[in-house]
Amino acid sequence: MSLKWISTKTIGSTVAVLLAIGTLGVVQPAKAVVDCTGATSDTDTCTVLSINTFGDVIEPALVTDYRKLHPEIKLSIKKSDLDALNGTGLYTQCAAGGAGNPDIAAVEISYSGFWRAYPQCFVDLRTMRTTVGNKSATDLKKDYLSWRWEHGVGYNDAVIGIPTDVGGLEVAYRWDLFKKYGLPYKRDDVSKAWNTWSKFIDFGKNYMSKLSASDKKANIGFMDNVGTIYPAVLNQGTEKYYRNNGTDQGQLIFKTNKQVKTAFDTTIAASKAGIGTRIGQFSSDWNVGMSKGTFAVMLSPAWMMDYIKGQAPGTKGKWDIADIPGGGGNQGGSQLTIPKGAKHKQEAWDFISWYLAPDQQLKVFQLYGLFPSTPSLYTDPDLVGYKDPFFNNAPVGKIYVDGVKKLKPIFEGKLQRCIDMAMGSAISLVANGKEKDSNKAFAKGIADADKCK
Amino acid sequence: MSESALPRGKSKPPTPWKPSKKLDNPNAVPSLNGRWGYLFTAPFFIMFLIFGLAPIVFSVVLAFFDVDVLSGIYNPVGLANFTELFADSRFWNALVNTFDIWLISTIPMIIMSIGLAAILHNPFLKGSTFWRTILLVPNITSVLAIAIVFGQLFGRDFGMINIIIGALGFEHVDFIQGTTSSHIAIASMIIWRWTGYNALIFLAAMLAIPSELYESASLDGAGKWKQFIYVTLPGLRNTITFVLIVGTIGGLQVFAEPLILGGSYNGGDSGQFSTLTLFLFDQAFVGYRWGYAAAIGIAITLIVMIVSTINFFITRRIAGDKS
Amino acid sequence: MSNYVLKNPNKRPKWHKVSFFGYLMLALITFISIFPFYWMFIVASNGTDEISKIPPTLLPGPRFFTVVSHVYEALPAFNQALLNSFYVGTLVAVAQVFFSALAGFAFAKLNFRGQRYLVLFVVFTMMLPSQLGIIALFKEISLMNLIDTLGALIIPALVTAFGVFWMRQVIDAQVPNELLEAASIDGAGVFRAYWSLVLPIIAQSSFVLGLFSFLASWNDFLWPLLVLNTPENFTAQVAVNQLKSSYAIDYALNMGGAFLSTLPLLILFIFVGRRLVRGVMDGAVKG
Repeated sequence: MSLKWISTKTIGSTVAVLLAIGTLGVVQPAKAVVDCTGATSDTDTCTVLSINTFGDVIEPALVTDYRKLHPEIKLSIKKSDLDALNGTGLYTQCAAGGAGNPDIAAVEISYSGFWRAYPQCFVDLRTMRTTVGNKSATDLKKDYLSWRWEHGVGYNDAVIGIPTDVGGLEVAYRWDLFKKYGLPYKRDDVSKAWNTWSKFIDFGKNYMSKLSASDKKANIGFMDNVGTIYPAVLNQGTEKYYRNNGTDQGQLIFKTNKQVKTAFDTTIAASKAGIGTRIGQFSSDWNVGMSKGTFAVMLSPAWMMDYIKGQAPGTKGKWDIADIPGGGGNQGGSQLTIPKGAKHKQEAWDFISWYLAPDQQLKVFQLYGLFPSTPSLYTDPDLVGYKDPFFNNAPVGKIYVDGVKKLKPIFEGKLQRCIDMAMGSAISLVANGKEKDSNKAFAKGIADADKCK
Repeated sequence: MSESALPRGKSKPPTPWKPSKKLDNPNAVPSLNGRWGYLFTAPFFIMFLIFGLAPIVFSVVLAFFDVDVLSGIYNPVGLANFTELFADSRFWNALVNTFDIWLISTIPMIIMSIGLAAILHNPFLKGSTFWRTILLVPNITSVLAIAIVFGQLFGRDFGMINIIIGALGFEHVDFIQGTTSSHIAIASMIIWRWTGYNALIFLAAMLAIPSELYESASLDGAGKWKQFIYVTLPGLRNTITFVLIVGTIGGLQVFAEPLILGGSYNGGDSGQFSTLTLFLFDQAFVGYRWGYAAAIGIAITLIVMIVSTINFFITRRIAGDKS
Repeated sequence: MSNYVLKNPNKRPKWHKVSFFGYLMLALITFISIFPFYWMFIVASNGTDEISKIPPTLLPGPRFFTVVSHVYEALPAFNQALLNSFYVGTLVAVAQVFFSALAGFAFAKLNFRGQRYLVLFVVFTMMLPSQLGIIALFKEISLMNLIDTLGALIIPALVTAFGVFWMRQVIDAQVPNELLEAASIDGAGVFRAYWSLVLPIIAQSSFVLGLFSFLASWNDFLWPLLVLNTPENFTAQVAVNQLKSSYAIDYALNMGGAFLSTLPLLILFIFVGRRLVRGVMDGAVKG
């Protein structure tokens, strides 16, 4: 009953309580994870990053990953058609001084020519620094295929976008149909048999000769659409419609560039040889045709493989992939840009540099089949050794890697799309029999391209 | 104007002779204070000026410039855009296509709408609620879905329509590559989407025709068909004019259907179904030639004005002759 | 049997029964009108490869609810988008009817100087292609800070030249001058005459205009796609557009979304349809 006892007890319990409180303070769980998934606009704890893409350029699984890394960031994704996004949308926003710009916009390579003439509509990514690692676009450049990198560089050398995937281009073919008609059907044999475009056309003629009359009447053919040959050949050169002269207008060379005429003539030759079915890609006839063997050959970027799997599941195992004639090729791909009106430029840059880093691109490939544009992965056994059972266990990783390494950087200019359409129109005229003289068609294509201003 | 029992104008109380000041509105009710007109129309005009007219006027002014909106470059070029347009074969191509599509879609559509309304007008019709609701289903169906569905229907090799054509022994029609065939495809999309809508307009108008007229006609021994021609049609005169004018304005500006069929603004690989507004959009958002696009816009407006006026007078004359 | 009330049962107007041909035409039109909608359901419930099947399946399949769950996965705010469309459509419809009736009445029944030119001006403005104004309108809306809000859809759509034109026609046709004269002699002012006499008469035609305004707003695609960025602010059409995947088209997903976006409106119309019929028929009896 001495003071001492009371004191001890009091002191003891006080200390115990203090300890407990102190422990709570020290051992309390790491700060409560904030949940920003419901956020529609910036709050104290959440930042909403608005992203405009055409389709799933930003893949869902990685959105989840990023949320784990940065729970305070909400990725708000709007998807629309390509023309609505890169044409009308970005254009209207830039014309309004950047009003309505998302934080990140995906620009497809068919629009890269145009937007490279207007780098003022975007943030120059050489001036951005990542929060972690202090990296700017200049630091990232070495991680990417040089010709893919070029799609995001303005005429004044400003870097306006970082590459996402690379389409690549090889040939998907129905080996079972080749075998049926007594043609070479193993992929190495096939690749060798058509290693030039003229040999490819001959192969096609050979295939057509094996078809019955009723087959031909039902519009069964060798390849889906010979029009796809034009851009393929064009991309295998070193120049296309432009030469960069350091101005936003660029120097137009499409009239004199031999590659243009070569691409045109090759396509016309294929058309006249009757090896195409003239079905438009992505049309409903094309989807049906894929399942029914209406055509045996398609020029196929990497992302097309998933498409075939979705549209024609019944043809599993009947397809294979061979090398494209003339070397590599490319169809599709995009850059992630930060439009100048973006409200969260720093967060946008942090995300872009993360999302497009080789590690993430590998994951995108594994989950979604989009081919990486980062050459460091091209020696990764996961990529190079990847075989696809749908395509007869073709080593598609290796095939596309070899293909994409073969292309050279090509400068695209402002009127790229317009000229592409003019030439495509001219090819159509011949393919559909509306113009018999291919020289006249070519002249018309050039004249229409001239109207592009 | 419906043939109401009390004919217009005859019931105005006799007014003392006034120096004839041609009235702005001869159909007005004179005892109502006209000044209110300014107040009543003000909200419309103010808002329309700000949101409807101003943006268009701005763009129209651009027609006299060579413009690069993004670089902020505006070069005045006077009438150069118009002279270029006049000589542009793509413009004339779009014009011809537009007229063709307009003709083969508007005329069948109006006939079908009136016929449909006549059937729906009949009080003996069973299930009228159901039928009337169906009228608007095409109009609410998502444009995206229509693109896919009609793209399929009109497929050259595997489209349902061609399968039927093939089964009947004919060769498959290429509804996208052909000129006339693509116009037929587009016209059918327009007819599909808008017939029910217009039928509703005609139905509303028919229901405003007093039933006494039908009663007296049938008492006079007129059969169903005669009643239609002598009672219904005249009663619809104004509505037909209205639908025709709106249909002309809308039809000459047809945009969504060819865009849906072709998927892009060029109106087909050889522009076989390029229409005037599609061409405008192509020049604006593919070519980014806003000055030129504005010139096209002015041309469209002029064309629509001329055609509407002609339309108006023709309809008045025909309808005038009938009654 | 319809709701037509005979004024004098002894003197029946000799309506002929609808012929077999008439019903056949209706059935055909119904089939054609509904088929695309039904087809959406077929594709959504059978899967993407349904598109490629020849002959196509004509019966629904088992995968509908899977597809629906994918739609909501792709766009959790899908229901919000439908609500937004309803909200915007209704506001726009009410506003357009209100302002058009006012202006249409003035043009039809009032006489004021310069009126004829104003009417022609209204008709003229209908002839201007709206596509031209996109960029400037976007700039205007951005200056008002309305980008990415529903206000960007509502404010520019509060008035319509078509509506004024329509109302003028309707009021001209349905409102007898004598009625207004009598009211005015009785001491009613212009606004009173408008409010108590004109509006009730044109009620069902106003309803029809409101319906058309609603539909136009519902179907509007280009402009909402341009101005709306946040998925929670989307309208139905933009939401359906959100279902696109990169380069390929997942047909089942798209059709599922398109179907889901059309269904509520269809159900609404079935209910509204009854009111519409009754309202219109009442008008017929009155007229």
